[in-house]
Amino acid sequence: MISLTHFLLVSALLFSTGLYAVLAKKNAILVLVGIELMINAAVLNLVAFGRYDGGLYGGQTFALFAIVLAAAAVAVALAIILNVYKHYKSINPDDINDLKD
Amino acid sequence: MSLNLLLFYLLAFTAVGSALLIVSMKNLVRSLFLFFVTLFAVAGLYVFALADFVAVTQVIVYVGGVLVLMLFAFMLSNKVLLSDLQSGVKGVFGMPSWQAGIIAISFFTMLLSVVWQVAINEPQWITEAKQQQLLIRYQDNTIHHLGINLMTRYVLPFEVVSVFLMMALMGAAHLARKENQEP
Amino acid sequence: MDQLSQISTPVLAALIVLCAPLISFGLSAIAGKRLRSGIPATVAIAISLLAAIFIFATVWNGQQVHQQTSWFRIGEHSFKAGILLNNLSALLLLLVCAIALPVHVYSMVYMKGDYGIHRYWLYLSLFCFAMLGLVMADSLLLMYIGWELVGFASYLLIGFWFTRPAAIKANKKAFLINRIGDLGFLIGIAIIYTQFQTLDLVALFGDHGMVREAFNDGVEWRYAQHAMPAFWLTIAGAAFFLGAMAKSAQFPFHIWLPDAMEGPTSVSSLIHAATMVAAGVFMLVRISPLFDAQILLLIGAIGAFTALMAATIALTQQDIKKILAFSTISQLGFMMVAIGIGQYGVAIFHLVTHAFFKCLLFLSAGAVIHEMQHVKETLKLELDPQDIRNMGGLRRYMPHTFRLTLVAALALAGLPLTAGYLSKDAILIFAFEWAEWQSAWWKFIPVSLLVTSALTAFYIARLVFKVFYGKPRISAIGQGTNYLHEAPRGMLLPMLFLGLCSLFPLFSYNPLLFEDTWIIKGFELPETLERVNIYHTVVPAAVNGLAIVMIFIAWRWYAQGKYPQGSLRGRLYEFSAAQWYLNVMYEKGIVKPLLKVSKMLYAFDRTIVDGLVDTGAGTVRWFANTAQWLDRALVDGLVNGVGKAAVFAGGVLRGSRKGKIQYYLFSMFLVLLIVLFVGLKIFSP
Repeated sequence: MISLTHFLLVSALLFSTGLYAVLAKKNAILVLVGIELMINAAVLNLVAFGRYDGGLYGGQTFALFAIVLAAAAVAVALAIILNVYKHYKSINPDDINDLKD
Repeated sequence: MSLNLLLFYLLAFTAVGSALLIVSMKNLVRSLFLFFVTLFAVAGLYVFALADFVAVTQVIVYVGGVLVLMLFAFMLSNKVLLSDLQSGVKGVFGMPSWQAGIIAISFFTMLLSVVWQVAINEPQWITEAKQQQLLIRYQDNTIHHLGINLMTRYVLPFEVVSVFLMMALMGAAHLARKENQEP
Repeated sequence: MDQLSQISTPVLAALIVLCAPLISFGLSAIAGKRLRSGIPATVAIAISLLAAIFIFATVWNGQQVHQQTSWFRIGEHSFKAGILLNNLSALLLLLVCAIALPVHVYSMVYMKGDYGIHRYWLYLSLFCFAMLGLVMADSLLLMYIGWELVGFASYLLIGFWFTRPAAIKANKKAFLINRIGDLGFLIGIAIIYTQFQTLDLVALFGDHGMVREAFNDGVEWRYAQHAMPAFWLTIAGAAFFLGAMAKSAQFPFHIWLPDAMEGPTSVSSLIHAATMVAAGVFMLVRISPLFDAQILLLIGAIGAFTALMAATIALTQQDIKKILAFSTISQLGFMMVAIGIGQYGVAIFHLVTHAFFKCLLFLSAGAVIHEMQHVKETLKLELDPQDIRNMGGLRRYMPHTFRLTLVAALALAGLPLTAGYLSKDAILIFAFEWAEWQSAWWKFIPVSLLVTSALTAFYIARLVFKVFYGKPRISAIGQGTNYLHEAPRGMLLPMLFLGLCSLFPLFSYNPLLFEDTWIIKGFELPETLERVNIYHTVVPAAVNGLAIVMIFIAWRWYAQGKYPQGSLRGRLYEFSAAQWYLNVMYEKGIVKPLLKVSKMLYAFDRTIVDGLVDTGAGTVRWFANTAQWLDRALVDGLVNGVGKAAVFAGGVLRGSRKGKIQYYLFSMFLVLLIVLFVGLKIFSP
């Protein structure tokens, strides 16, 4: 049986990679991919801890919910990105700077 | 080192390595295909955590749904989107993203320290679960238990999630709709 | 389910009786203005009537039906809710439904086209529901709920035309005066509960109920472990009687009833005949074992006095509905006397007969008023359609209404062949027999009743002669064009039904002897008075002789127009016309002093309390002004300085951010990192 630490380590690596993608990539789609990576890392943690929850299966159930919600998030995010592209003719997050005053 | 552990390391290496490649690639399409690899590898890791149903769901939803959605959306929409939009980023850690690198690395360190602490002082509930043999075992039929739990104990979150999903998909459809279709 | 299957058929029928008006009420409440026809309410009350007939057939002179279920608990005291059906409640249920149905049918025509008619049906259903609930309640608490609901529904109905100031005043008056009575009822309930720890009617007032078993030696009133000084028994009786006095309009609480005429006439008929005023009498009969001798004497005395007073007032009133209102008060006085002399069956008998003929009188009056209103509107006259001085000779235009009114009037006057004869003679004869056993002083009760019944014959004859005989007072009516016509069939049919019920065959096969009536036989006479045969012949003869003389006088005066002008316009006339100046007395004796006291309190409040507060407020304001200056100059300066500094720093720092999302994310994660770091440092072991 693989110990919990291994899983946590892998998920930490995945999470940091995703975080880097979110912060650094200049393409909104890759930012989205980064977010998905982070979600996957979280799901991995849920599943790894859920192994010790034999009676209730809480970890796996909520891992399922997280996956499904991530899928929904992707659908909405893609729609938003499309609209952003229509509006700005770009999907570089740096070009979308209407938030500044 | 058992075969188990070897396989686990292999999968973990694939997952992390492909993830790192995704962030370092310039070509978007390649990145997206590499994302496939990462997701498959992570699904394999789920199997090692005795969550076979979650792994299957991962493959079906992510690989079959999300990625295809991404690819189709961009292949169908515009060529410009596919071309590399990385402006002024050179190499794995291009200059403008060094701050992001620092943040990511320090976050990783932080997580590492947490993992370290968990490894040293095992949380009480895990110890108790081990003592009481409440772990999920290899021979357990997870789908059976998951199904029962979903329909009994977690039926409220299940319903909430389903309603949320419907709203999200309706929202997505509304956003993606072409504006000038309406009279 | 178990409980449902145990419900016996009469109880089920009782539930139907109760629920039908409630459902109609709910329907009307939901449908609002869309439901103007009143058919649901009428159908509901018809269903109730059928169920009530069934109950009556099963329960009358049979086993009493009592079923209850646990309602709620307060600490160790548990309360039960249930239905009690015995001779009394079965009869009253039947009466209420049998009166309410004609009134409903009549209202469908009478109220047609009224702007707020949907509210009318709503209130009427509520009224019937409340009264039926009151009648079949098996505990004092439930009865009290029904009692209050009846009061509330009557408040709504009296104030039905709420745009008229008089109606608003009248319904407020009725409500407030009923409140006094409710208070009495409540005090009575509290005393009973303290003594017996239950409010169950059967347990309290049944054949071997607690009240009968309780021991009272004049010093102590004892039941089981509980003992009270004996006078509490008297107080409890008086408290309940207070409730009945207000509801059944006994002196000095009768003043709301004449004012309640501001409601629609059909409502007045319902209030006066079967529901509102009957509730008081019904309640007294229900709890009759409670009364001791003093209270019974008090009830009898007040009843007799009320009867006489109301009859004298009715002699001189000019408003047709007011005459009938005072007549009701007078007749209620008769019932009270019957209770006071211990003849509860007779009281209920008179209640029933009176319900029919008084309802009929009101409905006839309604028909007449309807026509007068019609005349007023077509001819554009300035006249009061309810004033009998404007009527006259209507016999020729409304023959059916006239005949029916005549039946009811004869019943009220107590002439043979009518139901009124039976019940009124019963009361009078029993009163005389009762007086035999009392000290001579109490003879005044039967004598005053005798006088009252003579006066009754006079005032009702006056009403009939003035309205239906003689020549029309309004010149335009006599001149060819037929402005007046008979009431429509929808109004006549209910009146015909009531007219038939006002005759003797419904109650007895023997038109002359009240002892044969089945209603009196249905109630065991609590203490059989020794039969004094002479009264059984003398009293009816005296009553009828006096009545015929009075009617003849009225005929001479009003029908033939030989009114002794001037000679009667004395003090007494004024006294009666002003309703014994009771309203004025209340105004001067109670309302004015109360207003004065409240004005004094107001002045005290204004000058002293408010003065103190004002001074305090002034001081506080001075402080506040000072504080404000300090605040402006010092604190705000400081805060604004800090704010300005922050804005300046923000402006400087903002330059690097440029509104880029990832920079925001970057800062966010940086902060998160720092927080997590610090958190881990602090919380890690």
